[in-house]
Amino acid sequence: MSELAVLGLKVGFLALLWLFILFTGNVVRTDLFGRKVSAAELAAQGGAPGAKPQKISRRALRQLPKTLTVTHGKQAGLQLPLGEGILIGRASDCQLLLDDDYVSTRHARISRTPTGYQVEDLGSTNGTFVNNQRITAPTPFGIEDTLRIGRTMMSAEK
Amino acid sequence: MSDVVGYRKRRGVEAFMLAFAIILGMGGYLLTHLNRDAALPPEWPWALAALLTIGVALHAVIRWRLPYADPLILPLVMLLNGIGLAMIHRLDLGTSPRMHSAELQLMWTAIAAVACCLVIAFLRDYRVLQRYTYTMFLAGMALLMLPLVPGLGTEKNGARIWIHLGPYSFQPAELAKLVLSIAFASYLVEKRDVLALAGGRFLGIELPRPRDLGPILLMWLASLAVLVFQKDLGTSLLFFGLFVMMLYVATEKPSWAILGLLLFATGAYLGYLFFSHVQVRVSSWLNPFSNYDQNYQVIQGQFGIAWGGALGTGWGLGRPNLTPLAKTDFIAAAIGEELGVAGLTAVMLIYGLIVARGLRASLVARDPFGKLLAAGLSFVFAIQVFAILGGVTRLLPLTGLTTPFMSQGGSSLVANWVMVGLLLVITHQVRSPVAEVPAEPEQWLAAEATQVVPVGASVDAAAGSPRSVPATSPAAIADDAPVPVTPPADDVTVPVALPADDVTTEVTSGPGGGAGDPSGGEGDDPTTEVRLPPEDGGVL
Repeated sequence: MSELAVLGLKVGFLALLWLFILFTGNVVRTDLFGRKVSAAELAAQGGAPGAKPQKISRRALRQLPKTLTVTHGKQAGLQLPLGEGILIGRASDCQLLLDDDYVSTRHARISRTPTGYQVEDLGSTNGTFVNNQRITAPTPFGIEDTLRIGRTMMSAEK
Repeated sequence: MSDVVGYRKRRGVEAFMLAFAIILGMGGYLLTHLNRDAALPPEWPWALAALLTIGVALHAVIRWRLPYADPLILPLVMLLNGIGLAMIHRLDLGTSPRMHSAELQLMWTAIAAVACCLVIAFLRDYRVLQRYTYTMFLAGMALLMLPLVPGLGTEKNGARIWIHLGPYSFQPAELAKLVLSIAFASYLVEKRDVLALAGGRFLGIELPRPRDLGPILLMWLASLAVLVFQKDLGTSLLFFGLFVMMLYVATEKPSWAILGLLLFATGAYLGYLFFSHVQVRVSSWLNPFSNYDQNYQVIQGQFGIAWGGALGTGWGLGRPNLTPLAKTDFIAAAIGEELGVAGLTAVMLIYGLIVARGLRASLVARDPFGKLLAAGLSFVFAIQVFAILGGVTRLLPLTGLTTPFMSQGGSSLVANWVMVGLLLVITHQVRSPVAEVPAEPEQWLAAEATQVVPVGASVDAAAGSPRSVPATSPAAIADDAPVPVTPPADDVTVPVALPADDVTTEVTSGPGGGAGDPSGGEGDDPTTEVRLPPEDGGVL
């Protein structure tokens, strides 16, 4: 081989070797602090054993409500999809951010179970009401039900 | 409350870097042939297939058993192993009649990879190793002293560190390194509180109590015995250094490190005064050219590195075979000659990165045994690399240690791959997500202290929703923690929230009024608890 080719290959190999080290450095950098994962996300990834989202039959899925509509309160008319479940409160990581003085930071959670949606209170100050009853345990939440949090009323719709 | 600190699995990154590492190893092999014969060797697809099989198998086992393991350790190790294989093959080409040690080394790589896979598959929780403290210690010491048994051990190149079993020879110190790391880690987990007790003070340094000096003196005598009877500086330095470093990590007392250094200096000086083999090593370190024949190896290694220069001669174009033992002790000199200082520095950096990943695992580890074991394994690896590379480059007196993953030799390869398996198991447990306990719960408890909470109204709310009870006990942490649950018996630094003493009973009797909700209660009038909101109340 010509000397030029030998030199090129030699320098090329060393460059690749150092590129490997640079890549490694980049992985080390992006790996430095880890990241915060919420427990729900972890469950969705299958990270927590036994917390995998249960399969729901398509027929049962059709019976389920699809959106949550705010019917009374400052944000009346607001609609959002229920999906796997939503977190309600004033914290920025809540899917439904309520502009209401009577709402706690993380007030309540709507989550999907094999039998349908359910609401649970997350230890809020002023309570969560389903059909005007204060709930103390996870309560089923379907199409006919109304949910009141603070001065805001919501209902599930198809 | 249910937030979790986690590391990404990054298995894709591992696969990519692993492929990159294999390409680099193959690159060295192919470039050697291109440079020497201007043609690719006919058997190169087989070599590639062998490396790929090893890499894919290891990666698959990690994906299967240790999805959260550190993504960098495997590619880094694979790169060193690949470059080592290519360099041994290149040194084979320089021999006549041609030797075939690279093929043998490839076979040993496969065996070592299988050993690593077995560790990964069967040792999911490294804490079981903690049970056999003294058994491990005795086994490690026995392994270390095995070459002294007459008929079993043989003297090679002036050091008696090999044993022969039929046609196989084996360096038991490589395995002893692992076994003793485990033994020291579990011993120090138990005894570190005692060993950390301060005795008298001298020159502003807290000295340990004289009665606690037993273990370090025992290790010192053992390492002196290795130095005297096995005539091996490196092994002696390795084990004493490992013990002193782990003692320092476990107790956080610098006095142990200082004491260890003084003891080591004393031992080394005594060795220099009384033993000719130590004097030979020192003279070949300080003035190699005073006796050309005696220091031939070191001098040839120096010439090789000097001839390589900054960028090296290129794969296959230098003459590293001129150095005796170029495949084992002096493989770093061969790298320095053909890849230059640029390549040798890169290799050193890769060793450094492996050590850094191990120490990182040690920093993040939550249980003291894992912490000490990861630190010990990284340290013993670091000391070994430092001693041999320092010896080859004449920073230190030359010691007969192997260059991990690169130099030819099956026992070293297997032991180091098993060490990689252990590190991977530790990193997997360390990096798996666990629930995080709120760091300063006292603050919001104190903030709540000004609020008058109607006890009767909120008690049933609290009873009805158990989630609102703050995680104040280790058992509550365990609820959300999927993988390693820190045993409460360990004195780990998991911040456990205990209500401060000065919190009033009003608050502790009514935790439902915002205990699970640190900031949401601010400004709330407690009376709204029972009253309907005024405006929309009529609608209801």
